[in-house]
Amino acid sequence: VRLPHRLRPRRLLRAINVKLGAIRPALLLLTLAIVPAIVGGVYHREKISWRSRIPASEIVDLDLVRSWDGNVIWVDARPDNEYEQDHIPGALLVNEDRWNELLPPFLAQWSPEKKVVVYCSTKSCNLAGDVARRLREEAQLQNVFVLEGGWEEWLRKK
Amino acid sequence: MKATTSNVQRSTLNAQLAARTSLGVGRWTLDVGRFPVLRITMQILAFIIAAIFIFAALIKILDIDQLVIDVIHLRFAAALQNLKHLSLRDPVGFARDIDNYNLLPWPVAVVLALYLPWLEIFSGLALVTRRLYRGGLLILTLLTTVFIAASIVAKARGLDISCGCFGHVSKGWSFGWHLLLDFGILGALVTLLLQPERLKTSARESRE
Repeated sequence: VRLPHRLRPRRLLRAINVKLGAIRPALLLLTLAIVPAIVGGVYHREKISWRSRIPASEIVDLDLVRSWDGNVIWVDARPDNEYEQDHIPGALLVNEDRWNELLPPFLAQWSPEKKVVVYCSTKSCNLAGDVARRLREEAQLQNVFVLEGGWEEWLRKK
Repeated sequence: MKATTSNVQRSTLNAQLAARTSLGVGRWTLDVGRFPVLRITMQILAFIIAAIFIFAALIKILDIDQLVIDVIHLRFAAALQNLKHLSLRDPVGFARDIDNYNLLPWPVAVVLALYLPWLEIFSGLALVTRRLYRGGLLILTLLTTVFIAASIVAKARGLDISCGCFGHVSKGWSFGWHLLLDFGILGALVTLLLQPERLKTSARESRE
């Protein structure tokens, strides 16, 4: 498909540049912003996890959780309907949709010697990390982990 | 001969002046030079847009949520106290917001989280100082367009996204309000971008 002469990309870009005089200053600004971004990256290097949004130290696999001999509280971070369909036996529902409502019953069952393992499914893959972070930051809990592979991993190894 | 040359020069100068002070392109051109109020309005609009983007960037770089809350509630003494304990914000939070759109791999989200706030600041400053002005306008227009498109796509896919744009200020806003504000900003940016400050004299204007 041949585009009309006036709409061809090179001609369009040239038109923007000639009519608006914008391309060169834009490139200069794009380049300038790289410098503080790199400085920020170096400054925050300890906090940034490049491989996954959840730091490796906060992810646990199912075999490790099983080695903890039941000294675990499972937290299901998926939406209500997915939890109602099926969940890990004994898992408590704590999702972000009803955070204020679901947190108190969870805290009532929590005890400091137990480790908390949060899971979600690959369909809602960000939820477990977010719930784990809020348990750490807002509920001030320690020993909160995210299950690698989530609900699907549990089903596979069940 | 001498008089003819000077008339041609005068005509060209007039056309160039008209082009420099007009708003719009082609037949939709509006002569801003004839309306000083409109020219000042355009400058104020540029300042407002710059302020919005610089604020949106600062809230991603600095931990100023509490400071903003104090200022909004006119608690200036507390705001000053918070100003003393100002710290840098962890970029991972903004990276998570970008990652929630499920459009980009995680490492790209981290790079953008480090880069975009500074790009917004530099582009905003370009609007305020009028250095690299057109470049700043073009970048902010493209950023807003991409952001609107990504928001609509994410909503269409049923994702519950938080853009993280204005921190605490925009926490309770619905998707509709966000979109309305974004389209308002985009409209203002396009209006500013269509001010042909350096537009070359068109053939039509030369003839006139």
